[in-house]
Amino acid sequence: MIAHEFAYERPTTLEEATRVLTEHSGSVRLLAGGTDLVAWLRDDAVAPDLVVDIKAIPGLDTIELDGDELHVGSLVTFTDLIESEVVAEHAPLLIEMAETVASPGIRNRATMVGNICSAVPSCDAGPVLMAYDTTVHLIGPGGARSVSIDDWFIGLRETACSDDEVVTHLTLALRPHGGVYVKLMRYGGEDLAQAAVGIVEYPGHEYRVAFGAVAPTPIRAHRIEEVLRGKPLGEEVIADAVALVRDEISPITDMRATAEYRARMCEVMLERGLAASHERLEGAGPAYGTRLI
Amino acid sequence: MTTTYPFEADSVDDALTAVGTPAVRIDGLDKISGAAQFVDDLDFGPDLLHGAVVESPHAYARIVSIDTSAAEAAPGVVKVITGEDFPYNFGMYMEDRYIFAQHHVRFVGEQVAGVIARTHRQAVRAAKLVEVEYEVLEPLLDPKEAVAEDAPLIHPNLGDYAHVPWFFPKADTNIAHWRKIRKGDTEKAFAEADYVLEDTYRVPRYAHCAIEPHVTVGKLDHAGRLTVWTASQSPHTQRHLFAEALAPLGFAHKDVRVITPYVGGGFGGKAGVSMEIIGAAMATAVKGHPVKLRFTREQEFYNTYQRQGVVAELKVGVMNNGTITAVEHKLYWDAGAYVEYGANVVNAAGLSATGPYRVPNISNDSLCVYTNLPPGGPYRGFGYSEFHFGLESHMDRIAEAIGMDPVDFRRKNAIVEGDELSYGGHMNPSGMIEAIDKTAAAIEWGVDEESKNPNTIMGKGVALFWKAPAMPPNASSASFLKFNEDGSVNVSVSGMELGQGYLTVMAQIAAEILGLPVEMVRVETPDTDRNPYEWQTVASHVTWSSGLAVEKAAIEARAKIFEVIHEVYGFEDETLYLEDQKVKCTTDPEFAKPLREFVIDGIQTDDGTWRGGPIIASGKFMPEFTNANSDPETGQGGHPNVHYTVGACGVLIEIDKETGRIWVRKAALAVDAGKAINPDLVKGQITGGLVQGLATVLYEDMRFDDDGRLMNPNFTDYKIPTSFDIPDEMIPIIVEVPQPDGPFGARGVGEHTMIAAAPVIANAVYNALGVRIKSMPITQEKIALAVTDRHHN
Repeated sequence: MIAHEFAYERPTTLEEATRVLTEHSGSVRLLAGGTDLVAWLRDDAVAPDLVVDIKAIPGLDTIELDGDELHVGSLVTFTDLIESEVVAEHAPLLIEMAETVASPGIRNRATMVGNICSAVPSCDAGPVLMAYDTTVHLIGPGGARSVSIDDWFIGLRETACSDDEVVTHLTLALRPHGGVYVKLMRYGGEDLAQAAVGIVEYPGHEYRVAFGAVAPTPIRAHRIEEVLRGKPLGEEVIADAVALVRDEISPITDMRATAEYRARMCEVMLERGLAASHERLEGAGPAYGTRLI
Repeated sequence: MTTTYPFEADSVDDALTAVGTPAVRIDGLDKISGAAQFVDDLDFGPDLLHGAVVESPHAYARIVSIDTSAAEAAPGVVKVITGEDFPYNFGMYMEDRYIFAQHHVRFVGEQVAGVIARTHRQAVRAAKLVEVEYEVLEPLLDPKEAVAEDAPLIHPNLGDYAHVPWFFPKADTNIAHWRKIRKGDTEKAFAEADYVLEDTYRVPRYAHCAIEPHVTVGKLDHAGRLTVWTASQSPHTQRHLFAEALAPLGFAHKDVRVITPYVGGGFGGKAGVSMEIIGAAMATAVKGHPVKLRFTREQEFYNTYQRQGVVAELKVGVMNNGTITAVEHKLYWDAGAYVEYGANVVNAAGLSATGPYRVPNISNDSLCVYTNLPPGGPYRGFGYSEFHFGLESHMDRIAEAIGMDPVDFRRKNAIVEGDELSYGGHMNPSGMIEAIDKTAAAIEWGVDEESKNPNTIMGKGVALFWKAPAMPPNASSASFLKFNEDGSVNVSVSGMELGQGYLTVMAQIAAEILGLPVEMVRVETPDTDRNPYEWQTVASHVTWSSGLAVEKAAIEARAKIFEVIHEVYGFEDETLYLEDQKVKCTTDPEFAKPLREFVIDGIQTDDGTWRGGPIIASGKFMPEFTNANSDPETGQGGHPNVHYTVGACGVLIEIDKETGRIWVRKAALAVDAGKAINPDLVKGQITGGLVQGLATVLYEDMRFDDDGRLMNPNFTDYKIPTSFDIPDEMIPIIVEVPQPDGPFGARGVGEHTMIAAAPVIANAVYNALGVRIKSMPITQEKIALAVTDRHHN
């Protein structure tokens, strides 16, 4: 039960939403799926004066292919992704990731954009969107603007989105690829990532590697990408990449895992993940959705 | 056998028609149709008020002052109550618990005050306005620190608490009970042993995680009658404790009524009285209004009962031929802030800490130690799961050290009928050897399995278990039985249907004696005003104890039926029997009198008058051969346990060598049920207990910070298994060596099925990787890091 009081607005256009946000002076929270927000409200972890529900704004719930770009609206849920044929064909890693998020009931409500707006370190969408060269599109009092996913996460639960802005959609740059999302969990059921890695291999030996839950934000592993760039994968190349893992990440010890286990598992996940993404690029390997650990 | 049993079942096994059959559970339709009501489903009308609890943020503190004025002035608030209004203590076996904190708080989450308001939201908001000033004290969070000579006292008045005679509290220490067993000469035996292994094992606290959180609705009506609806395993015990604790308010037992509808799981957590006392007290403060107190999942974790943690120091001596000669087991229990129930867990473990083995020389010390953590209490397994982890790990290690196969080692030492128990009594008939052999066969013990995956490796493990019901020596059960016009029967009992199938089993027993189909028997959840006494639905004793009470009532009803038949038709009783809802006669094959023709209205005689009338009966059972009196220094002299149920468990697991992830590919468990009244329900207990036990060893992990605050009172970070986390294959094996005094030979199996799960995994992990994990849980992380450490060393 949510014990404290707050005002609630349900705008029906983006313009109205930004007006409400601009005119409001106190603390405010946007409500989409609400699976994080409602839990935080219940726990008194946040206490906004105003909650702005964006679910009545039309046009934010679409998944569209536009040339070499995939548009994902800010109200698209994880279930929408899982059930989308366009996503399955062009960005299957989103589905592999989405299937590890919480449980079906939560996935029916939770949005992928909400996931990166909550911006917890274990946010599942972060590493995958980084691996897919994603751009975040926002609208605010000054009009529309876009931010690369690499610049999106500022800190723990902090993003480049300001209090008077609303994310409208994401665009993913599509190319042929093979990829994996490997998520370390405490058991087979739904869990927050103890550590995670998103990997994409593009033709021409170009790689993207991003980790989750081993830093205050999801992080892109530029040094690992650099050592891999232009090289076909082999035992030695993979070993070189794995050797850099501890330089890229800064895991902590908390209730969910020790820093040492997180680091060791990032090495294992990268090793198995690189091999699997390469196999998938070649049209083989384990089917998307198969757990590698 | 030295034990004599007062009562033996009279039925012949091969003639059974209801008992021993997989009868469909009689609560099934209620539950799948949604007709079943739980406390929170009941409608109490517009007068219903709601309670909220003001909780201690400190593990140990002195209460300097409580200011309720702001809360009292808040919208919707009807009443705010504190320890000043209820300066009473209470408890199941020792009266060390308080309705609201008195002067001190002793764990994070302890109730300091209660707010009663028109709505739940108003109550929660007002509870935040109660201002409590504390003088914070240094908490004791570790039992080994709390038993140190200079440790501060958590209960300085321990010496004043009333308690049962079989507890031995040590005043002016933090030891609330110390169960000792001394038998033979352990010193000499260890000196003469060919091999002695000594080590320490650690088991953390666990939560029950029943799907339904605790909820209580209390109402004190204007005539002074207190009714409390509870989600409980123990309606009569609750009535008794409410009446005792609130006796200063003028209640007699007859004025207190507990109604307990269906319960969404208990696992021990809903035994005795925990939060229910708050709800009952709140009701007395707002006469005429029902008050609901419903715990959140977080409160469910930290202010009901938790399974106690234990540090187990174990020393076992053996001869080279594999004979165990001595066991020394020191158990330091982290019993928490209040031990009114948990101290009996400590007692039960101390009596049986040798495990299911024949041991001539024994020294057990089971210490109930106060700590500033939430109250410990009953949890499925009642102390046995905890000490079996170390004990059964130890047995594998000893077998390896002396070069014996672990199954052969256990087979050689397993306790069998007539062997002397630690307290001097003798072991009841039991099928341990059969259980071992069938389990070993089920997992193909001795056959090495190869993994096809280069990242993984296979391992096998075995472990044995035993457990006795832990009860007061005079814990009893009773039943009423009445026939209806159509020959159907209502049986009234006060055991609880917790999902285990109790109501169905009681119906099967009555149906068997009375020659009825099970569907003709209705058994419902209790109301202490109308249903006869039952101590509690705990200890895996209700099939046995309540079953005997139902059997006796049915036998009495049958006798009354035969009496009226004899009176009207002249057949001798011994020629009569019940079959197909009719009375039949061995000397007159033509005779078949349908029950429906006379069990209410009687039988008309030739002169037009009637004989008989409503057939009603009652039955009761108390184990009259039991006593808890024993020498406090040796534990010898009494007969505290009615009997033991035994069994064996084996697993085949696959482990990822790098991540440590475990998949249980196969789990077999054999338990000696004596007689499976309902084989499907016994199998349900086996699979359910296995899954729950495996969860405690693989996933669940209660974590407290340095200030004694539970960090994971939620399912985000306290992991119980999902359908992805159960064994690929489970093989339930029912062994049936009859319990001479059991109904149709039955004994309890409910708790036992989870006891061996932790050590069997520990042993299988060792078998696979050569890594011995000595603390629970055995998470994938712990395995992976242990493997890495071994490579580094």
